[in-house]
Amino acid sequence: MNCSFTEKISSLIDGELSPAEAREVERHLLSCAQCEEARADFLNLRNQISSFAASLPGRVQNRALEKILSGGRTKPAASGAGVRWGWNWGYGAVALASIAIVTLIIGLNFYQRPPTEVARLSPPPVPSPTVEPSSQAKPSPEPEPQQKPETPKRQPTPTPRRVREPKPGEQFATIPEDVQPVAPERTRSADAQTMTALHFERAETLLRAFRNVRLDDPDAAAEVRYERKRAKQLIYQNMMLRREADASGDVQIASLLDSLEPILLDIANLPDKPDNDTVRVIRERVERKNIVALLQVNSTALARALD
Amino acid sequence: MASQDDEFTMLFQDFYPSLCRFLECLLGGRAPLAQDLAQESFLQLHRTAWDTLPPGEARFWLYRVARNLAINEFRKTHTRYRLFDRVVEAMRPAARNPEQEYETRERKELVLEMLQTLPEDQRTALLLREQEQLSYREIGQVLNISESKVKVDIFRARAALRERWSRRVKVAGAGVS
Repeated sequence: MNCSFTEKISSLIDGELSPAEAREVERHLLSCAQCEEARADFLNLRNQISSFAASLPGRVQNRALEKILSGGRTKPAASGAGVRWGWNWGYGAVALASIAIVTLIIGLNFYQRPPTEVARLSPPPVPSPTVEPSSQAKPSPEPEPQQKPETPKRQPTPTPRRVREPKPGEQFATIPEDVQPVAPERTRSADAQTMTALHFERAETLLRAFRNVRLDDPDAAAEVRYERKRAKQLIYQNMMLRREADASGDVQIASLLDSLEPILLDIANLPDKPDNDTVRVIRERVERKNIVALLQVNSTALARALD
Repeated sequence: MASQDDEFTMLFQDFYPSLCRFLECLLGGRAPLAQDLAQESFLQLHRTAWDTLPPGEARFWLYRVARNLAINEFRKTHTRYRLFDRVVEAMRPAARNPEQEYETRERKELVLEMLQTLPEDQRTALLLREQEQLSYREIGQVLNISESKVKVDIFRARAALRERWSRRVKVAGAGVS
């Protein structure tokens, strides 16, 4: 990590560089193996972190919403009373009851689990002590323990209508109620993988071409016509592959195809002579979602797996 | 009122799972506590700020409050929550497919373990970027820091994780050979 460009690689994959800087870094990447490796590693880390599935059964979510809506109407002054229900009991009674339950349940658990899991059960995951010193060294904006939350920009607005924002973690929307998210079994056929790898390559080429369309050029309309046609062709394949990936439980590929689909749709639905803003908005979305980089990494990974 | 509740419900359905995931990663995998704090953040939003926040601000407000609640939790003694988490963990139904469950847990634990090695501010910035796909400007808005600090924090977090990851791979390789 000695190359002076490494820090810019981080900004590049986040889509936070200006077009000129991005071009400069991409040019550099062609000649610097160290930075290319850093980019692949950063994208790999992104995949690991973004594919983390929360332990959230559907019933917990429903119960939480009920509590909030009812708590908001009936107990407006009792801060947190509706939430921290468990700890309003006497701690002694809770501790005694918990110890009894833990003993009983752990005993049952050991009895039920296969031997490999029993071996893993003994060291419980304990948060690393490095967290506390850092959080103590750097206090939060509101240091008091029972703080009131900070309410930024408390300006009353005449029409407090809220715009539904894009879902950041789409994979959660597909988790059915009462089902713990589990690692999907990868049982996709070699044909489907080949098709997906090819599809990713085509989509990547399309998005790169779309990124380079110059709207001030008199031939821009013709260029966009080509991108639109290509996007229309790719949409159907994208839908088919996404359904296939969903069915075979390949969450990572399904999620990438899911992110790609609205972008393909937007490009396919562009008017004959799109204005600069419309194109810019789509480009910004492509940049923010890092679709091009993800397509590249995944098509390479699929191709390698097939070799 | 009904339409306001509908809007709130829509926001809740959209962001409660993400907020739980963010908090679970921030708190080192304590899922029940994460759910509790996510619920508390939404409750505070519903009670105090829902009518006054400008459109589109609620999401950032939620992450800011959730992070502050998590920091408060770091300061408190962890014992009772650990005990409670262990009880909940033990009461979970047995896995339908033990192998899948094992793999998922392995992967989750690895991600959590690596994230816990980062300072809290770097970890928060990285999670908001990688999981919530917020821009540097939006992350700065949530954490009340400058964009350049966000950029540096995210880069440092990535560099540190990358180094630890490669060290881990080397150790695993040495163990195999």
